[in-house]
Amino acid sequence: MKKIFLISTFFFVLVNSVYAEVDLRDKILKNLRCLVCQGQTMSDSNSDFAQTIKSVVDDKIGHGFKEDEIYKFLSDKYGDWILFNPPLKKENYLLWFLPYFLFIIGGIVIYYLSKKTQIKRK
Amino acid sequence: MLSNFGITFLSITFLTSFLLIYLSFNELKTANNKIPKKIYNFSSLQLIFTILSFLTLLAGFVVSDFSMSNVFENSHSTKPLLYKISGTWGSHEGSLLLWINILVLFSFLFLFYSNNNNKKFQLYTIIFQNFLIGTFLIFLLFNSNPFSLLFPVPNEGLGLNPILQDPALAIHPPLLYIGFVGSSIYFSAALAALISKVETKLFARVIKPWVSLSWFFQTLGILVGSVWAYYELGWGGFWFWDPVENSSLMPWLLMTALFHSVLVLERRLGLYSWVIILSILTFTMSVVGTFLVRSGILNSVHTFANDPSRGLFILTFLILMVFSSIFIFFKYSTTEKNTFKFLSKEFFILINNWFMVFFLLVVLIGTMYPIFLDTLFGTKISVGPPYYNFVLAPFLIPLLFLMTSGPKFNWISSESKKIFDLVFFISLFIFLAILFIVKEKNLIVNLTLIFSIYLTIQSLNDFYKAFKNKSINLSRVISHFGFGLLIFFISINHILSIEKNFNLKVGDEKNLSKFLIKFENIESYKIDNYQTIIGDFQILNKKNLIKKNLKPEIRIYDQPKTMTYEASIDSNFFSDTYLTMSNVSDSELFNIKLQIKPFMNFIWLSVFILSLGGVLNIFKRIKKV
Repeated sequence: MKKIFLISTFFFVLVNSVYAEVDLRDKILKNLRCLVCQGQTMSDSNSDFAQTIKSVVDDKIGHGFKEDEIYKFLSDKYGDWILFNPPLKKENYLLWFLPYFLFIIGGIVIYYLSKKTQIKRK
Repeated sequence: MLSNFGITFLSITFLTSFLLIYLSFNELKTANNKIPKKIYNFSSLQLIFTILSFLTLLAGFVVSDFSMSNVFENSHSTKPLLYKISGTWGSHEGSLLLWINILVLFSFLFLFYSNNNNKKFQLYTIIFQNFLIGTFLIFLLFNSNPFSLLFPVPNEGLGLNPILQDPALAIHPPLLYIGFVGSSIYFSAALAALISKVETKLFARVIKPWVSLSWFFQTLGILVGSVWAYYELGWGGFWFWDPVENSSLMPWLLMTALFHSVLVLERRLGLYSWVIILSILTFTMSVVGTFLVRSGILNSVHTFANDPSRGLFILTFLILMVFSSIFIFFKYSTTEKNTFKFLSKEFFILINNWFMVFFLLVVLIGTMYPIFLDTLFGTKISVGPPYYNFVLAPFLIPLLFLMTSGPKFNWISSESKKIFDLVFFISLFIFLAILFIVKEKNLIVNLTLIFSIYLTIQSLNDFYKAFKNKSINLSRVISHFGFGLLIFFISINHILSIEKNFNLKVGDEKNLSKFLIKFENIESYKIDNYQTIIGDFQILNKKNLIKKNLKPEIRIYDQPKTMTYEASIDSNFFSDTYLTMSNVSDSELFNIKLQIKPFMNFIWLSVFILSLGGVLNIFKRIKKV
């Protein structure tokens, strides 16, 4: 009975989990760095530069550009520095994959430490 | 005048640390098993003089003695007294002096209160600690002297960065520094333990209260910093994955790993080398953090004072520190056989360390990678919240689950326990009820909710059990409870936050789906050391017809000339209404940002509960000794 309940809940959650719709403009602006500020996002910044980028993003959305196309447009113009989410390029492979690789290494170490149960202890 | 006093006090402090090293080395050769009185005396003397030097600088700030360049650069005679005082540690030089004060204080406290009947271990710890004190004093005196003189003496100072003129930020650095620098004592103790081959259990017992103490202050320091960022930066967020925030989080993660593995060392005598490595790494990370913040190689919202020559010094020190630690470690460490039974308590603590180190590595890689890429290839990239959220968030789910289940297991034994028990089903019901209201669709967020509720309810259940029998570890229950609540409220806050951006003129109204906002009036006048522009807004909640008046501000400071945007926050028990305004250049329009942020107070409260577990741990130790 409990198992059925458990499985059906997870199933319910899974089915429900279609990609959540968010305000596209907000989402894009939050992923952009305000280049003239100190580490602020475009969405948080009050600078003139941010105002300009905001209207550029509005304009692009108005012209039916997709999210990725807008990022591409801005990074072509200002470099990847403007994107808070570093794109998956060759030079960023280490950034994206090293953490998982190290996590797996850690897991292997723990596996070996806890496997040798029967060997005499110190 | 004051400057001469300050430099004299610092020189005496330096002399005492030199003497302490010399005397301790000499004492190591004698057979007598008691530490002589003179070492205690010099340690007290050192504490007195370092505090005197700090008070001298403080006095300089209070009386606005602009003959000292540090006071000139960071203070102003019209500044309120509180900020004159906090200006003492507002600059790089002053905060370094505070850093040294805490190093000395910990050295003193360790000598006097950590009496462990092992003279060699105690003396080596004092030696290492005084090496640290001496090096930082040299750095302070020759590179970052807070008592440098200025001639001719200016009439007025330049003033403190306005966003630092805030009560939360006045106490943030001292709290964080006790955390950062507190870790120096178990760094020194770890090296001392290696050399003096101290008994494992004793080492664990000695460092445990210091780990809890520094962890507690580090947690509070991070909390106060987040609260400050929330209301002062005016963005409505409280954690930005900013490099400077990351450098306070990295030692915290290591401390968390450390006080879990110290338990294993104390109970099972296992993990000795690992605990030593963690102790060394924690302080190293603190220095790395300082290096990142002070050298100015980071682009961050929090970089206030930087200078490359400081960076070079700290980097050199860091390299020396790391290499000598590695040398000592390999010269003195003994091989040990660690074996752990699958599904024992120590196994789960290892898993905790696995996750903590993983989180640390993600934060470290995310912070350092752009710097390396820039130096090696000249490519500039930004690593921001989307990266951390993507990589870290999925790992929170198993972490929460393990935090719930791990403590149920026993030491050494490998007996399996029931994991999906009644508590889990109660939690699922609560989750479904919440889901019915919030209608969240993201899988990761939903799973995080389920497991944070599970952890919270399980902790409550443990708490109830603790009243019936005393054997349950209360500090663990409280901290885990706080962490469960924290993740729960952050998730709920993430789901229910509303943010609206629009432009308005004075007299305009904005009609949103749930709110009606009226821009009623604008006023401008001069206060103390700044000019203020205050907007008067009325926000009508269309659902319950409650009206709120909010008054966001734009402040224009003249000393130094800066503009800051002050959010107006209406904070009631369950939800914050957060309003900021900024001028749009060349127009009479103002850009208005309205945010509804539910459960903010609960987020702060959860972190506070989390930290309480640490305090309990310290008191428990003291009672046992």
